[in-house]
Amino acid sequence: MRVLYIDTSSDYLYSGIVIDDKLISEVKRKYEKDLSKEALPKVIELFDKANITPKDLDKIIVVNGPGSFTGIRIGITIAKTIAWALNINITPISGLTAMAISCDKDSYKMPLIDARRGYVYGAIYDKDNNPVIEDSHIELKDLLEKANDLGNVIAISNNDIKIGKENYDPNILKIVKYFENSEDVNPHLVNPIYLKKTEAEEKAGL
Amino acid sequence: MKDVYILGIESSCDETSCSIVKNGTVELATSTATQIAIHENFGGVVPEIASREHVKNITIVIEDCLKKANMKLEDITAIAVTYGPGLIGSLLVGLEAAKTLSYIYNKPLVPVHHIAGHIYANSLVEELKFPLIALVVSGGHTELIKMADHFNFEKLGGTLDDAIGECYDKVARVMDLPYPGGPKLDKLSKEGKPTYKLPIPLNDDSYNFSFSGLKSAVINLNHNEEQKGNKINKADLAASFQDVAVKSIVSKTKKALKDNNINNLIVAGGVAANSILRDALSDMCKENNIHLSIPPMKYCTDNAAMIAAAGYYAYKLGRRADYYLNSLSTTPLQ
Repeated sequence: MRVLYIDTSSDYLYSGIVIDDKLISEVKRKYEKDLSKEALPKVIELFDKANITPKDLDKIIVVNGPGSFTGIRIGITIAKTIAWALNINITPISGLTAMAISCDKDSYKMPLIDARRGYVYGAIYDKDNNPVIEDSHIELKDLLEKANDLGNVIAISNNDIKIGKENYDPNILKIVKYFENSEDVNPHLVNPIYLKKTEAEEKAGL
Repeated sequence: MKDVYILGIESSCDETSCSIVKNGTVELATSTATQIAIHENFGGVVPEIASREHVKNITIVIEDCLKKANMKLEDITAIAVTYGPGLIGSLLVGLEAAKTLSYIYNKPLVPVHHIAGHIYANSLVEELKFPLIALVVSGGHTELIKMADHFNFEKLGGTLDDAIGECYDKVARVMDLPYPGGPKLDKLSKEGKPTYKLPIPLNDDSYNFSFSGLKSAVINLNHNEEQKGNKINKADLAASFQDVAVKSIVSKTKKALKDNNINNLIVAGGVAANSILRDALSDMCKENNIHLSIPPMKYCTDNAAMIAAAGYYAYKLGRRADYYLNSLSTTPLQ
């Protein structure tokens, strides 16, 4: 089974190609602003390194959010365009779930993405990666309160959030194995899950 | 000669559009998802909402366009895409899709400037005759451009402040006409007479325009009459505004044609759909023996057919982009 993984939800490009049980090529890189310029060339490099073309894929797993609105759209557009054009199975997943899966700790896991002004995109998963607190756009202090109630919770983030935490380093092989048999979605319907309305909609009460 | 089929993608503002054009002149199919109804709720285009809609629509419009043309991506010669100027988040959805298709089908990627697209909308009607003056009038632009040949652009002048389309929309808003107000203002003006006295914008020797003074004058007049408890005759105010705005555009355009001794005028951009402007330009060109080309309404607003048409000439000139192509919110016409 040949799988392409793409996550562009947090100012980082995390992408890799897994063939059967091996991670053949991967990229993990932070982008301040040039993600839209660099994402596709970097993904092409992964194909070249793996010596396959997009046509050879059996599946694409793409992070559909939450996180950077623009970032998510870049990864989703690349992924859904390949999946639609070449008729390849595609499964959208939560980036927060991917963060939980990558963490091997035998405890509750609290993946966090900075959403500014004291807010985060966050969730709490148990040690088997089942959600205890669903993915939400939430004030950090409120989520921390819920974590306190649970007890043994480890925070995971690659943003500059001022709490004790483990840095997020995605285990792409593990994420892909976790989702490789998950249900596929019509590529036209693979769209970002923002978890947050636009400011204009909030102001207009829509 | 082998036929050239360009697939064009446009997503610079609030229309997600895909089109296939043959040899730069024949539109085979176009599919456009418009967001006007969504942005109506906010009185203007909300960039983040526009971007969200583009990502939902992008593969759908491409598929629909191919179906309408009864073609496969394999049949396409090259892929043309708007890289700028426009809303950055909107642009990059079309751009990423175009880059990805170019990669997986190994088709040349042709970058197209949005304004070049508007200008080349005319080639879907008739072949461009050089030298020519292009008058670009839209929500973001008011420019006079001289072209000696394909993709040879020399800017003669432009607006110093508001674009004409922006001015139309703002004036329409003051007059309580719902977004997008320009076309509604145009329609309303036909029921009125130019009875209100408004300042003539930048009546000088340059090829530049200025519309902010005119806009302020309409806003102030509206406000003052309200204060006095007088009822504004909206149709008359619309007619007065159009009269002054259109006269300014026509006189500068005429000057550009005469000074450069050019007999071909093409009009481009969303405001080219304005009926009073079309009539006035048509009269001026008849009087001065100028050949005038204005695209039909459907090619005036943002659409991918114009991008594919421009893409054809850019392709012929050997213009290519690599996969590092980025979207740009502002970028000079080239």
